[in-house]
Amino acid sequence: MNGKQYWKDKIPLFLINIVCMVLLSVFLLFVGNNADSIAVILIIWTMLLAGVLTFTYHQRKRRLNKLVKMAEGLEEKYLLSEMLPEPEHAEEQVYFQLLKMASKSMLEQIGTVARERQEYREYIEQWIHEIKTPITAMKLLCENHKEPFTREMMRELEKTNRFTEQALYYARSEYTEKDYSVQEIRLFDVVHQAIADNKYLLLQNQVALETEESELTVYSDDKWLRFILDQLIVNAVKYSREHPVLHFYTKVQGDQIFLFVEDHGIGICANDLPRIFEKGFTGKNGRIRQNATGIGLYLCKRLCDKLGIGIAAQSGETGTTMILSFQINHFIHQVQG
Amino acid sequence: MNTEILIIEDDPVIRKELQTVLEGNKYHTSAIEDFSDVTEQVRKINPHLILLDIKLPQENGFTICSGIRSFSQAPIIFVTSCNTDMDELNSIMLGGDAFITKPYHTAILLAKIASLLKRAYPDTQSRHLTYQGVSLSLETGTIEAEGKQTELTKNELKIMYYLFEHAGTICTRADLIEYLWDNQLYVDDNALSVNIGRIREKLSKIGVKDFIKTKHRQGYTL
Repeated sequence: MNGKQYWKDKIPLFLINIVCMVLLSVFLLFVGNNADSIAVILIIWTMLLAGVLTFTYHQRKRRLNKLVKMAEGLEEKYLLSEMLPEPEHAEEQVYFQLLKMASKSMLEQIGTVARERQEYREYIEQWIHEIKTPITAMKLLCENHKEPFTREMMRELEKTNRFTEQALYYARSEYTEKDYSVQEIRLFDVVHQAIADNKYLLLQNQVALETEESELTVYSDDKWLRFILDQLIVNAVKYSREHPVLHFYTKVQGDQIFLFVEDHGIGICANDLPRIFEKGFTGKNGRIRQNATGIGLYLCKRLCDKLGIGIAAQSGETGTTMILSFQINHFIHQVQG
Repeated sequence: MNTEILIIEDDPVIRKELQTVLEGNKYHTSAIEDFSDVTEQVRKINPHLILLDIKLPQENGFTICSGIRSFSQAPIIFVTSCNTDMDELNSIMLGGDAFITKPYHTAILLAKIASLLKRAYPDTQSRHLTYQGVSLSLETGTIEAEGKQTELTKNELKIMYYLFEHAGTICTRADLIEYLWDNQLYVDDNALSVNIGRIREKLSKIGVKDFIKTKHRQGYTL
């Protein structure tokens, strides 16, 4: 509470008191009191007034400070009106009622929005599951009639599937708590799956694949990891040069396992590098190749954060290396060992 | 042994095409078309392996799975577009052997089928392939003719396996490369030629000439 403002609020009270003092003094003079006794009365009056006002000022200030502190400590501040103590003053009570009304209507609004969001998300997930049936059917049709034409169809189907997966994981990345299961997975199993997801893309772009097989295992969710690798593979192909190369290898350093995805593509310029994981960021490469969305890497980063995987990029003249880092969980190994 | 695979899938196109794929890989297939009382139909067909969708018109896949488990231990592969962890967990709890999400890679599906069949019905497959007096042994990775044998590398073995499996027909380079990729051997066009060249060299050392024939602009054939 601002002290200056408090005293300003009290100006009418002072004025009334001064008027009363003047009137009382005049009256007392007329009925035959001497100036000294009037002065005593006025001094006592002033002191009492000042004392009461100062006391209430401090009391109110303490009370309000407590409320402010409480509000600051509250995580969801809009719930404050539920926490406030019952007001004592008539005016406060009205404000309290208003506050309650406002927060009630807001809570209703929030509830509606949250419910609608939830419904929309469920619809999206359901839609994605449904669209997968025709995608599967088309894929099988193509596989049963292999020829150059259907191979190109397959590449487009891979793309279709990738976009639907992206939508699915985008929807899920907001509510991930319940939707991943961490288990021991062999890193290269996931790498092979991700390559299989993009088989036609890689074959048709004549990407030379090098996989330095290792038996390293990590604790993570294979579906999510596969999605992340899919995005990295697509980027590597999208921003490739002639004779594209994609190199997968692992390394153990300290208590971390690193998975490297190295390409010999056009690279990312140094100015853009720190921003590639931002949502909607396309950078110089995006402007050159036109079809960047700025979603892929952003999603990767988000999913990695949720899974506790580190993701980083190195880039130079000779291409880009994306690095995923996994913490080795000594505790699990001890328990298992 | 004639392996019977039962497909329980409500989408008619997927059902038909899946049958084509499986029959192309020398399996017998049957499919459920009437979804009332699926369990009873399964009992009658008594398949060696079941591909089961989760979302079905009447009973869902989970119910059917536990129904089947009451009389049969045939491997069940759940094939579904719902890839939530709950579904996966459910399918395993109810006695499913594998869980594959749509859209699946047929190569992965076939590998899964083969490995489950091998586990459930051991020693049904011959591990030797023979064509025109040349025989390929998958366990040892060797190729043999008239008592002489030579070892093959992993790539070479897979190439030979594919050619043996499709003996008499023309295998296009694209098909061969795709097959190798499905087996996680990422070979490109040049490397394929190099590998074929090496196999021919090895074959000629054991006295087999012109075993692999090149069909110009088409591919290879045995």
